[in-house]
Order: sequence, then C-alpha cells, then structure tokens
Amino acid sequence: MNTNLKISNVTKIYPGCVANDNVSLEFNSGKIYALLGENGAGKSTLVKILSGVIIPDEGKIYLNENNLNLNSPLDAKKNDIGMVFQHFNLFETLSVFDNLIIDSDEQRESLREKIDSIMKKYNFSIDLDIPVLNLSAGQKQKVEIIRCLIRSPKVLIMDEPTSVLTEQETSELFLSLKKFSEEGILIIYITHKLKEVMQLCDEVAVMRRGKLVSVSEIKNENIESLANKMVGQNLRTIKKKKAKTSSDQLIKITNLNFTSEDPFETNLMDINFSVNRGECLGIAGISGNGQSELFQVLSGEIISEKKSIEFNNNYIGDLNPQERREYLMAFSPEDRLEQAAIPQMKIFENVALNNFKSSNFFNNGLINENKIKEHSKKIISDFNVNTDNIELKSQFLSGGNLQKLIIGRELITSPDLLICFNPTWGLDVGAINYIHETLIKINEQNKSIILISTDTDELLKLSDKISVIHKGKLSKIMNTEEVTSEKLGILMGGAN
Amino acid sequence: MIIDINFVGLIIASIMASAVPLILASCGELITERSGVLNLGVEGMMIIGAISGFALMTVTGSLIIAVFGAMLAGVLISTIFAFLTQTLITNHVATGLALTIFGIGISAMIGKNFVGIPGKEFPVLFEGLKDTIPLLGPILFGHSIVFYFAFALPFITSYFLKKTKIGLIVRAVGDSPESASNQGINVRLIRYACILYGGAMSGLAGAYLSMIYTPQWIENMTGGRGWIALALVVFSTWNPIKILIGAMIFGGLTIIQFHMQAIGVRIPVQFLTALPYIVTIIVLVVISRDSRKIRLSTPSSLGKSFHKDN
Repeated sequence: MNTNLKISNVTKIYPGCVANDNVSLEFNSGKIYALLGENGAGKSTLVKILSGVIIPDEGKIYLNENNLNLNSPLDAKKNDIGMVFQHFNLFETLSVFDNLIIDSDEQRESLREKIDSIMKKYNFSIDLDIPVLNLSAGQKQKVEIIRCLIRSPKVLIMDEPTSVLTEQETSELFLSLKKFSEEGILIIYITHKLKEVMQLCDEVAVMRRGKLVSVSEIKNENIESLANKMVGQNLRTIKKKKAKTSSDQLIKITNLNFTSEDPFETNLMDINFSVNRGECLGIAGISGNGQSELFQVLSGEIISEKKSIEFNNNYIGDLNPQERREYLMAFSPEDRLEQAAIPQMKIFENVALNNFKSSNFFNNGLINENKIKEHSKKIISDFNVNTDNIELKSQFLSGGNLQKLIIGRELITSPDLLICFNPTWGLDVGAINYIHETLIKINEQNKSIILISTDTDELLKLSDKISVIHKGKLSKIMNTEEVTSEKLGILMGGAN
Repeated sequence: MIIDINFVGLIIASIMASAVPLILASCGELITERSGVLNLGVEGMMIIGAISGFALMTVTGSLIIAVFGAMLAGVLISTIFAFLTQTLITNHVATGLALTIFGIGISAMIGKNFVGIPGKEFPVLFEGLKDTIPLLGPILFGHSIVFYFAFALPFITSYFLKKTKIGLIVRAVGDSPESASNQGINVRLIRYACILYGGAMSGLAGAYLSMIYTPQWIENMTGGRGWIALALVVFSTWNPIKILIGAMIFGGLTIIQFHMQAIGVRIPVQFLTALPYIVTIIVLVVISRDSRKIRLSTPSSLGKSFHKDN
C-alpha cells in the first residue's frame, strides 16, 4: 500500500531562534528522501517533531490523509513512524534483547522469533544476549533499526546515520535502506553529507536556518549545487598544495604502549611514527579504536615512558600537557566543551587557561586581565569568531565559533606541532572550511600537525601522510596520494 | 567451655534481627538508585517511619495501622523529595541531605510526648517450633512478619529487577533517561514510583526499630543506620544479594563487638565500635571487584537530574 506523509506549515520557535519556520513537505513511499542542511538548519527539530519527541507550536502532520497528534514518542510508534536517532537511544548496560523487548508488548519467545527472522532477512548478525556496550557502533545502529522493524513501520527516519560508520558499514546500510524502500517503507534520510545524498536518495529537501529552501529530484542536482543551496552562498573549494618534502624530523614516537586499567578503554600497542616539519600526519579510524587514548598519550594527559616520545630532540614522554606546551606543542581535544574549554567561564578566561607560563598573562600570580582581553580580541578578529563580547560564557558559543577560538588560543605560542582530534566534528560546512584553511596555513608556515579524525574526506584533504588506527594498533604510514577512501575503509575495518 | 548450641542459634538470630532494618532500607534505596535517583534522605525517612509507627501504635493501639502508617509516612516524606527533584529539578544530593535533617528534626518534635512510654509486644510467628530443631530452631522460627519479609526482600528485589518488565524499565531509566523518554517511557512517573517505594521501605525499617527491635521511642534512635544502608547499596554495587551479605556482616559485627566489650576483651572500645563499619566496607569492596560487572550494574544516570525539553 502506498504511504503518504505530509508535513503542513510546521513552526517551532525556541527563545532566540526559529528552529522550523512554516515548513511544508510531502513524502510518498517507494522513494528515499534526503533532508539536507547544516547543523542548526532545523532538520533535527523537524524529525523530532515527526517522531513525537518535540511538539510543534503550529502546523499539522498527516499520514495517509489522517491528521496525527504526535504528543509523545509513543504516539509516533503507534502510528507506524520509526526513527533511528543520531545519538543512539539504547540502554548500554542492558542486553540487546532487553533493549528490544522493553517497548514491545510481545511475549519473549515470539519476539525472539520475530527478531531472528528480521536478522535473517536482512543479513544482520548480532548476539542478542550480550550487553549493548560490547557492540560496535554499526551493530548498535542495527539494533536500533531492528527495534523499528519489529513494529513493521510505514515510515523510517534515519538521523545522520553514517557519522559513526565505516565505509563498508555505510554501504551495507545503504543496501538495507534500499531494500526497505522496495518493500514499501517510506525512508527519510537526514544528513549534511552531500555525497551520501547523491548516492542513496531519490529526492532532496534542503533546509537552511529553519526554512525549507528547495525540494528537487536528485537527477537534477549535483554536489556543488546542493552545497550552495545548503550554505546559501558559493563555497570556495579548498585544495592543499603538496608540501615541500622536508626531512627535518620534529616528533618521533618509539615503541609507545599504553595499557588501560579501565576495561572500556583501548590499549595502545607498539605505536611508532614520526612527523617532519611542515607535515600533516592524519590518523584515521572508526571511533573507539584508541584515538582518544592516543590523543591523551600525545598530549600528556596520560604520561608514558620518557624516551617513547622525542620532540625537537628532547625526550618528553614523562611530561604533563603544561610542560609539553613549553616545548611548543599545542592541543585541540575532541570534546570542545568538556576538555578544551570550561563552559561556564568567559571567553577571555578560557583564552588564558592554557598559557600559564609562556605568556605574560600573569604577573607574580596575579591575572593581567587587560593583556588577556587584548589578546582575546585579537583571536576573535583573526580567527573570525562570530561574537564581539569576550565576556560571554563559552558555552554560548556555537561549536564552530568555539573551535575557532580554541585553535586560535592554541596558536598563541606559535607552536611547532598542533595535535587535533576531530577538529570539525559536528560543525557546519562554513566552519569546517575555515578550520581546514587554518590547518593548511599552519603547514605552510612549516609547522606540523597530527590530525586524528574519523572523517576520511577531511584526512584525505589535509594530510600528507596517513595511518589507520585499529584496536590500538597503527597501520603502516602511507603517502596520501597512494591512498583512497576505500583503502582506508578496509584498513579501518581491521583487514590488511 | 561448653557452648550451648541453642545459644549460638540465639546469637545468630539476634544478628539477623539487627540486619533487618538495613536490608529493608537498602533494598528500597536500591530500587530508587536503580532508576537513577540518589536519595540521601534514607536516615530521615527511617526516623520518620520510626516515630510514626510508634505514635500510631500508642494512639490507635493497632499494630497493623501502625506498620502501614509508618510506611505511608515514609511515602509522604519521600513525596517531598520526589516533587523537589523530579518536578522542580533540584539537586538530588542537597535535597536528600535536607530531607534527613528535616526528618530528624520533625521526629524529635513529634516524639516529645512519646518518650518513656513502653511499646507493645509485636506478635511473632512459629513460636512453638523454636525448640524442635537444635541451632536452626531459634534462627528460623519465632520472629515477626517483618523479619521474614526482610529476608525475602533481597530475592524478590533481584527477581523483580532481572525478570519483570517493570524491573527492566526501572533499569533502563537508570541507564539512560533520555533514551527511555524517547522510547515513550514516562521517566518522571517511574522515578516518582521508585522514590516513593524507597520511602515506604525506609519507613518500614524505622517502624521495625521502634516497634519490634527496641519497642520504644528514643530521639535519634536510628543512630546512623540510614547512612549505613546507603553505603551498603553503593558497596554492594547495586546487587540485592550482596546487600544481604553486607547487612549480615554489619549486624554480626555489631552484636559480636557488644559481647566482646561485655566479656572485657582488651581492645579499645572505639576500635570495636568502628569495626563493623570498616569490615563491612572492606568485605563488600573485595567481593565487588569485577569492574565489568560494576559497570553493568551501576545506574549510569545516578544523581543526575533529567529534564525533558519540549
């Protein structure tokens, strides 16, 4: 049977922001629809309205001409709308089966049979009796999908589903989604990745700043046209010039090991690499394969053997981050609000935080506020941070602005090496572009970068050399020209 | 020295009796914490239960009204906590501490008129069977209904959490209230229910103290048992069976150190009184070392407020 889903004049206003401004859209089963937009464009709000998590201020939703009253996630489920959230809605400490039975009215045995038949049909293989926290991100997503399929939904909404997947897992997912679509499930696919839209979808709706800007068929679009619609202006394409081959070695890691006491962390095994001046070494991998441990070991949050890290001809393995900064290393951690900045502190206070010794921010233990403020203003204008109020608490900065501030702060000492961990994670295209340009500029000044990232495109764009981390081990280091994203994907999956 | 085997039985029975309030309050708090709520008001709810039970018994003369009234009193005072933390989204720790202080104060105020009044005898079950089996007789028979309930409770609690749908939902809410809410589970309702249940069990624990264990009202008579109950929950890593073990060790050492003091063992009294606390914690830490299991049974959202935004 044909399914028709209609969104009619939906508006949702938050204080200071119109998340959805009079949005109307229509979907029909048999097609895969993309909902495309940058972060903050309002696509997440819209799908949360469809799944009953958020109640709109105005507007109606019709499924096959019936007006739906979606006041809670339960209502959406009852009306056969299934949703797989970007951040998984799973209970990590419960078993897979417990996760699935919790919102089902079926008996244990019949549910088990149903799950088994779903897994068989779509070639999923997941152990139902282990806790969810032991699953990979791809498997967790399958659990979420199974959870929706149990209810034989008419509509399946996928919110940024590939952000945690490998290339292989992504293509598996696409195959499944196409199969669902052929079986008559209406698929709405939310993303900001243009390549995926071109690959998977039949129609695309683009949102910008809460408004629907266009609806069109994929065959009439290309990546550039979609990007421009999404951002609302013409984007410059960034290309890195090939680095001058320098043989001046800056940092060398030798036989570095880290064994964690926490069973849910990854152990690092026998890490060896070196980075020359002016070079960018990219480290690819699926998240959770030891990236965060590697970052911590490199930054000195985890201290290792003195001789395992040689930087500028000094052994620094046993130094803490503050001491390493004095040797002109700088760090940009993954979690901007938890690790890089203190959310409740003002912008200028955060600027002062990582420069205790080498700067003139402090005189005899007293804070030199004017100096700090002066410098903060300089960062804000140099790095295009979109605010003029340095007294603003940093938690109120958008991700992109905060990342620019952090990178700006880190560059104050003009470090020889910047270590970044997912610097553009969750940022919109404009901010990503800016960060990428900044990183390229750093390399051009003959400074080095270690870029740990889960975004393969980013790595291929910025790195001179690439290695892949899998289960705490690094692959051999390759020249970027010799690498394709397919090859990286295979290495990320653990094959050789 | 000849030890009368029935005397050993009596000592074990008295150890078990002293463990009863700890088991009751801990198992109640365990359910509360499993739903992600940290209620530090156990001591306060317990003492309210103690005075309510004793007062109702004295005024109405009915033991049944007194016992259920004490549980209801626990429910009522925990409703304050639930309203503050779940509806007004206040901080769990501060609110729980306030609840304890409030409970101790108000119980002392109500209790003024009940000091010195003798309690009533609470009926015991299977009194006649006490002498039929040596050693086991005094252990198994001749106790109040609350006693038997307390020793069944850890097993019921364990079964409830592991095997029932509602138990699963409670664990899910404690693991991730956001996910639970997105799955259509009413997080606030579940947490309210778990808090109120914890209050009822603390109230019952208090009533056991003032009506059965030492049938009288003394100001501040819970004497820190609420805090021990809280500690038991954490150190047992939210496992009801380990709570039983911990409560028995604590009760046992408390009784044994009394006897040691009485016999005049030459160990400083302060050390003897501290012993149950130290040993209980050491034992529970040792039996709960498996960090994997801890991770699996710790409610990840414990003590964090959940606010559903619309």
